[in-house]
Amino acid sequence: MLYRVIDASELPGLIEAFLRDYEVIAPVRKGMSYAFEPVEDFSSIELDYPTTLTSLKKYYLPPRETLFRFDAREGMLAPYELTVRPRVLFGAHACDINAINNLNLAFDDARYPDPYYDAHKRANMIVGISCSPSSTCFCHLLESDEARSGYDLFLTDIGGRYFVSIGSVEAANILEAACNPREATDEDRRAFRASTRRRQEAFDEDIPDVQEIPMLMDAFHSDAFWAELGGRCLSCTACSAVCPTCYCFDIVDVLDPSGETGSRDRVWDACTSPQFALVTGGHNFREDGRERVRHRMYHKLNGFNANHGRYLCVGCGRCVRACKADISPIEVLRFFSEKGAEDAC
Amino acid sequence: MPASTSVEVQPLSEAAARETGAEPMSANPYRPWPARITSITPLTATEKLFEFRLIDERIRNAFHHEPGQFVEVSIFGVGEAPISISSSPSKGGFIELCVRRAGEFTSRLHEMQCGDIVGIRGPYGKAFPFEEMKHHDILLVAGGLGIAPLRSLINNIHDERSEFNKVTIIYGSRNPGEVMFRDQFEMWRHRKDFDLYLTVDHPDDAWDGEVGLVTAPFAHLEIDPANTYGAVCGPPVMYRFVVEEMRKKGISYDHIYMSFERHMKCGMGKCGHCQIGHQYCCIDGPVFNYWEAKNIQGSM
Repeated sequence: MLYRVIDASELPGLIEAFLRDYEVIAPVRKGMSYAFEPVEDFSSIELDYPTTLTSLKKYYLPPRETLFRFDAREGMLAPYELTVRPRVLFGAHACDINAINNLNLAFDDARYPDPYYDAHKRANMIVGISCSPSSTCFCHLLESDEARSGYDLFLTDIGGRYFVSIGSVEAANILEAACNPREATDEDRRAFRASTRRRQEAFDEDIPDVQEIPMLMDAFHSDAFWAELGGRCLSCTACSAVCPTCYCFDIVDVLDPSGETGSRDRVWDACTSPQFALVTGGHNFREDGRERVRHRMYHKLNGFNANHGRYLCVGCGRCVRACKADISPIEVLRFFSEKGAEDAC
Repeated sequence: MPASTSVEVQPLSEAAARETGAEPMSANPYRPWPARITSITPLTATEKLFEFRLIDERIRNAFHHEPGQFVEVSIFGVGEAPISISSSPSKGGFIELCVRRAGEFTSRLHEMQCGDIVGIRGPYGKAFPFEEMKHHDILLVAGGLGIAPLRSLINNIHDERSEFNKVTIIYGSRNPGEVMFRDQFEMWRHRKDFDLYLTVDHPDDAWDGEVGLVTAPFAHLEIDPANTYGAVCGPPVMYRFVVEEMRKKGISYDHIYMSFERHMKCGMGKCGHCQIGHQYCCIDGPVFNYWEAKNIQGSM
């Protein structure tokens, strides 16, 4: 990795350079919360923001996206083209970059390339920014508090200046043209490490650090805990909507008002929705909330690990805030932690 | 200047410059290819056997399936449904699908006529280990509509019969009216090299087959467990009981194969609908051996 340092005063110039050729998506204030939205200038960007309400997932897997168009009368395809303008996802926190890395793992499959996801991915440049954890953040417990790959630039605030990790030549060229990046000094590196330490020490210690989570997911698969958790679930699927790594979708045909032509779309779906595992004929493979909530947690904390060697959950805390029934991975960690305490007695 | 990225989906005539069908099929796996209904055979009051032919020759030539795999069938404006392939790969050029009229999609398919066009993409999924099964005894157990995917395997074994040792087929239905492919079973009954057990739960006066659950014939089966492969497909409740019988006969975990039913919406291990534990039924299955199934949380 290549590291450089720029002054904080150079940041508006960098944004202006991006805005010339790219659509720039950045965190902005939105009512009581924050959101990633297209911006027109530097001044509307919130550099120091807590986790946004929704994630950057929509710039890879839009909530609704047309796959192709068809003529229903003839049973044939009609011409269709999806074009994605180059864009910069500016101000992504480490958890969100790790979430995108996880989405990439799910969608990068040589057997079945996903041209739509790929079009978004190729159009996106990612500029990350350092953050300090809020009370619902637990990314550090799921190995997602640092982004080690998956960004074009990563800016760490080291007091009046930014320590810049450079991940791509495209970003390096823009950085060099727009700013005056200089070599990092020993003092810069010390400031960088101090900033990392401050973040590491700022996490809420009430959220338990549990070892062997995947094994515990298997071991307590039949525990009454899941019935209690699932019994509370309202099936609103807010958890999946705000989750940066929930990538399940449905495929639906939508007819135009004429009834003759239409499009096949993919739309976000959620395994916590009661009909999700229903098959034709009426059998539902995850009929109750217990099975659905457990399946969601299982995929986040065990299933994805089995296939990709990483937790799918990045500990961003969005579902913790979104869930009206207080169901969250933190609850699961607490349950495991208490079980561990019982074992020790 | 950074360039925009794009995905183009054009009708077939405009994509025709390519030489083989494999390339466009893999470039956009969400894209269905037009197929014509070439034959419709009513099987029962609710099931029909449809025969399809992919219209474009290059796509047709690039389409190769194995017994146990499925395709996604499209009726534009209605949607898409995963349906297991009922025909044997030994008879190329056509794809047979056995479809029960159950929901909106299958009702619309049942209304279609010969000559009508649907979309097909695939094939998808892990198949029965046909090559591995050669030179072994084969015990096939189907319940109800489970005969649909197993028929692909049965017909494939039929067409390469000399490659297999003893072949036993147990096929259970609720009542005689629900028994499918009767002509075919009748034909095999006269062959000496298939042991057939057709059983129904509720017989009528004309029924001359076995009576009882699909597990009943196990009582008088002689099985060489070290040399036998089992294959099971049926309604979800059936697996546990049939597998238990096979285990009692001493067949190894990894020689008992089963095809699971789930709603595979994308067929490519992404959409999540067919997930069983950490596995995707569409790419890790739908055919699993019992050892694999035992290691998936919530599989049976």
